[in-house]
Amino acid sequence: MKSLFEAAVGIILAVILETVLGKISAPLLFVLNAFSWVVLYFSLTKHEVFGAVMGTVCGLLQDSFSLGVFGVAGLTKTLLGFTAGLVSRKINVIPVTRNIVFLLVVSFAELAFWKFLVFFLFGERLALGGGLVLLQPMATALVVTLAFQIVRRRREEGL
Amino acid sequence: MPFSLKERRKLAFFAGLVFFHLILISLQVPKGDQPTYLERAFFAVFTPVQHGVVSFFKYLGGFWKNYFYLRHVQRQNQDMRDEIFLLRQENQAFRNMLLKFRNATEIQEQLATISRSILVCSVIGFNSSDIYKSVVLNRGSLNGLKKDMVVLDKNGRLVGRVIEPIFFKEARVQLITDKESGVGVLSERQKVIGILSGYADGKCLMKYVLRTNKGIEEGEEVSTSGFEGIYPAEIPVGKIISVSEDATLFKKIIVDPYFDFAELDEVAVLAVDLRELY
Repeated sequence: MKSLFEAAVGIILAVILETVLGKISAPLLFVLNAFSWVVLYFSLTKHEVFGAVMGTVCGLLQDSFSLGVFGVAGLTKTLLGFTAGLVSRKINVIPVTRNIVFLLVVSFAELAFWKFLVFFLFGERLALGGGLVLLQPMATALVVTLAFQIVRRRREEGL
Repeated sequence: MPFSLKERRKLAFFAGLVFFHLILISLQVPKGDQPTYLERAFFAVFTPVQHGVVSFFKYLGGFWKNYFYLRHVQRQNQDMRDEIFLLRQENQAFRNMLLKFRNATEIQEQLATISRSILVCSVIGFNSSDIYKSVVLNRGSLNGLKKDMVVLDKNGRLVGRVIEPIFFKEARVQLITDKESGVGVLSERQKVIGILSGYADGKCLMKYVLRTNKGIEEGEEVSTSGFEGIYPAEIPVGKIISVSEDATLFKKIIVDPYFDFAELDEVAVLAVDLRELY
């Protein structure tokens, strides 16, 4: 029950962040993808099944805020959530450096897969935002690592 | 290494989710302009959250600006008074010009209809996947918004049109920078006709101008032609920034739209077809 509540808060926070970022400056949405942050955070903390479900919900949410084929971001984020959750359970990604590198790799893979679907399968031109979108994996890795490490240390101190 | 029963269940669950997405995507083939029920449901549930967030920050900003941060207000008021004065003069000059063609009562009625039919809307959300495709407005069917209504920026330049989904207090706008959009346009000097659609990174492409056509140049303004039956004629759209040729029969004409994303905070929706008035 607590996990569901946390997930709901995470999703609402992602929607709020996306809205605020868009209002501050629309091109920021190329760099900062709050939906990916939420999916990756829950994949690291609650592993593959929860990550996949969060990927589905956040991806479809991103699709509903976008014009295009409904389900593309959903599919991409489901794969992201499951893969990140599974790998993080098999190998130790808790140390900060490993955490950043791991998140950078999965974020880049997500971006590449998403662009592949959009460009090759649906024939849409890639929106790179003047190259800004290439910064997205780095921003995602940094933000999620920061959130993950803060929460982990707080929990350790609490125990 | 064989998978345990628990891991097999997880994999089956994951495969089910992937299958669900593939079915969802397949259901949209061929792609129509109607969003799926699931997309509508997500839009209906979460756009009020966006609406609330934007309203909250607007309220906070308004509170700060109205009660505390009052520097330059007097100067701004004076600038606005000057601008209103100039706009009134301009308005009067246009009215006088119109009088040459029609009688005063008819013009008064039509101008009143126009001013009643412009809805000022705030942009509450941008397209998360590609900002150049669409935006969400804070007005919907309760405010009289309907599909295909024309959306302009604060300077009266073309932004896009209202599309589905349209809910009670929120609606989506397809921008002219979306690749799937289409606007009938005319070049300024030689009146060369083309179809404008999105290209990449906020630029547009003017299509179907034959390469043998010599009447189009860089720097020319492009405005709506009104031929496609959605956008009224003579709305400024953008400026041609490059004209080139490739192996196809048509020229490659890139247009930089006039509307600015940084100033897309408020837009005007035309709730009347201007062609019916003139």
